[in-house]
Amino acid sequence: MRLPCRLRLMLLCVLLGACTAAPTPQPLAVARVGYGGSPDTVNPGTAVLTEAYTMFALVYDALYTYNFDGTYSLSLAESVDRSADGLTYTYKIRSGIKFHDGQPLTARDVAFTYNLNKAHTEYPYMNPYTRYMESITAPDDTTVVIRLNTAIPNIESQLVFQYVLPAHVWQAHADGAAAVEFENEAMIGSGPFKLLEYKQGEFVRLGANKQHFSRPPKVDEVIFQTFANSDALVQAISTGQVDMITELPNTAAEKLGQTLNVKVVSAAPFAPAVSDIIFNQATRESCPSESACTGNVALQDRQVRLALAHATNKQQLIDVVLQGKGTPGLTLIPNGLGMWFNDSLKDYEYDPAKANQILDDAGYEYKGDIRCAAVPCVYGDPPMNFRMYWPSDSADAPRMAELLAGMWKEIGVGLQPQAIDPDALTALCCPAFDFDIILWGWGSDPDPNMLLNVMRTESISTGSSETGYSNARYDALYDQQVVELDLQKRKDLVWEMQRQVHEDVVYIIPYYDMQVQALRTDRFSGWILDQPKLDLSDVSSLVNITPVK
Amino acid sequence: MQSGRLLLRKAWSALLTIGFVLVLNFFLFRVLPGDPARAGIKDPRMTRAAQIAIHQRFGLDKPVLNCLASLNPLRRGPCLVNPLQTQLFIYINNLLHGELGISYHNKIPVGELVRARLWNTAVLVSAGQALAIVLGIAGGVLAAWQAHTRIDYAALITSLVAWSMPTFWLGLILLFWGSRYAGLPIGGQHTPGLAAAGTVDQLRDAVRHLVLPTLTQTIIYLAEYLLIMRSTMLDVLAEDYILTAKAKGLSTFQVLKDHALRNAALPIITIVALNLGFTVAGAVQIEAVFSWPGLGQAIYESVARRDYPVLQGAFLLLAISVIVANLLADLLYTWLDPRVQAPA
Repeated sequence: MRLPCRLRLMLLCVLLGACTAAPTPQPLAVARVGYGGSPDTVNPGTAVLTEAYTMFALVYDALYTYNFDGTYSLSLAESVDRSADGLTYTYKIRSGIKFHDGQPLTARDVAFTYNLNKAHTEYPYMNPYTRYMESITAPDDTTVVIRLNTAIPNIESQLVFQYVLPAHVWQAHADGAAAVEFENEAMIGSGPFKLLEYKQGEFVRLGANKQHFSRPPKVDEVIFQTFANSDALVQAISTGQVDMITELPNTAAEKLGQTLNVKVVSAAPFAPAVSDIIFNQATRESCPSESACTGNVALQDRQVRLALAHATNKQQLIDVVLQGKGTPGLTLIPNGLGMWFNDSLKDYEYDPAKANQILDDAGYEYKGDIRCAAVPCVYGDPPMNFRMYWPSDSADAPRMAELLAGMWKEIGVGLQPQAIDPDALTALCCPAFDFDIILWGWGSDPDPNMLLNVMRTESISTGSSETGYSNARYDALYDQQVVELDLQKRKDLVWEMQRQVHEDVVYIIPYYDMQVQALRTDRFSGWILDQPKLDLSDVSSLVNITPVK
Repeated sequence: MQSGRLLLRKAWSALLTIGFVLVLNFFLFRVLPGDPARAGIKDPRMTRAAQIAIHQRFGLDKPVLNCLASLNPLRRGPCLVNPLQTQLFIYINNLLHGELGISYHNKIPVGELVRARLWNTAVLVSAGQALAIVLGIAGGVLAAWQAHTRIDYAALITSLVAWSMPTFWLGLILLFWGSRYAGLPIGGQHTPGLAAAGTVDQLRDAVRHLVLPTLTQTIIYLAEYLLIMRSTMLDVLAEDYILTAKAKGLSTFQVLKDHALRNAALPIITIVALNLGFTVAGAVQIEAVFSWPGLGQAIYESVARRDYPVLQGAFLLLAISVIVANLLADLLYTWLDPRVQAPA
């Protein structure tokens, strides 16, 4: 049977169409991130873990963003006006911004969020960010007015982590216990990514918000998958099951770096961090009521702490403990805090002979291999044999304790090292002061206030002070810098405070750790690697990456 | 009649044990040092007001018992508190109403969390145990039947090596081997983002995720079952009635199945029943290696975070599973061996 020519032509067209014109669905560009943790909750009010804040930064917007160079940029706000007395801030909010559910984001949502955070003292981090706020109002859809009770120099740091929540979702959960019990499962925000799926302890799946006003992602999805141990994380990236890992042991870095298509990167962490050697200096006078305060009395003597500082070989600690991935520490304010870090200070050089001389001059005699902790030493006085504790989840501390024991033995100081469950250690530490020395550390806010506060006399009784250090001059300087509006003057005050605590040898800061992460070079490009700080899970990288062709 | 009374007596003693565990659970975790409101948070930004608010929210501001404000540090408290307002009473009252409380850390109901995690653990444990039981018993019977041959020695040595291997270490070795050479997933229960895939793809993915943790569990338990089965079978096979059975001309299979296995099964049933009760908690190491979101991992994390409600809920469940498994073992024993009866 012969078909008419026109019909044959039509049939040919249909067949060709079926073969060629059928739309082949483009595979989604999905970036997979291997993660060592998981958010504790997706309610920004009650969350405490860093992993939760990483998600908030991707899903929500705030009035400011924090940049790699330590500065702040306006984000949801397009302009800000500060009154002459520094007490009133008027923000103009961008118009046309929408939440992920399509509802508009207005100044009323901003005011609602800040008032919500202010009303709930049980919000552990969000509530303190509103402590200087007298009132927050939204006279219209694009204006937010914040009235402060004290003029402060760092309004940006108070607002940068207060993520703007949709009032139309949260209104029903704003009062009383509902505000902390609300699980916020839909996690409606306005940020560059929107929540698609969340399984606590397993993964968080985020989809791109291509309509984002400033940072539309180039990928379609980002999945944060939780791995329960670092060996699994390393194996996951080397076998290509994930495209980036946010952490890895320094000991694995060299070997992993030799793996095909894997690149290991390290730099100062975007979220500044510091490791510290804490000396219990709580005296009988400064000891809070109900606290044990059992610290070895020798550590209350600056000369002893100074001798320990001279007997500490920081470079060896960095080489051995961090495999070279760190820089020598100086003060509790880490170099990652940029201009606030006092780099003019001269560190105590490693010199065991000098350390011995300091202790000899101070009159600390040897009792056998170890010196006596009292001057003059009488029968029954304890030896300089310090209890050294560290949190049992620390990978670095055991090695550091071992090295310190060797270094300090040279000057007649003994150590009784012991790993302790982190929570039990918190109970021993502060404000109980039931220890001699602790190896621990801090993560910091972008503003130095948080870490400076740790060394105030007032913090001894609240449990924030871990040393029991008390110095009236330091306290006065702290109070001054909190309200100093002139940036240069505030910086001078902060530097002077660091000089004071360095002079008093309140801590030994062994090093500032580097952030070590790894990525697959055969999957995505565009990771932000050219900055002095590093965080590949930051929104700046995740909106910028594109699949490798 | 007698067996009914026996059952009742055993059920009653199981209930008493559960009641004891309930109270013990409460005190056990409160003896641990540390403040749940500050667990894992060493941060000066957390104000005193926030700590007080968290205490109030979770009822930690109330005394543990009359005259006892806290157990660690041991602190005496007022003795004239309304007993209904003590933590112990509130805990028991909530339990009687079927409420396990809210997780301090995850801020979700413990019942919900434990249920989801228990299911995940059950999937893992049942697959591993089923394989271990079948292979272990079969291997044990074979090794005993072929006693002092190469098969027996190979089974014996392999089992001893497998049994001596630390679970965590074996898991890591299999993880490296399986992911590198067999392309198997390293962690989790399924590949995130597969929700839109077809049922067959999802099922295949789930099975792939199960392979390595199941294999780890199978190897560890198989060795135990094989060794016990072999040893018991050797005893049974030396009995006169086995010789009689052989003399009657029964096939090897019949001798083993009808005469040897049933008699040799008693110890293995006890071990399996006990293991089934304990493996809910015993999967902690496997879950930690393979990032398996089960009950074991929840317990591990909750200990570090002083998450009392989750610990109480999980331990209660573990206690119940062990007690029920014991009860079942007892009953099975009675059924399998008529000599095991209540005293006349």
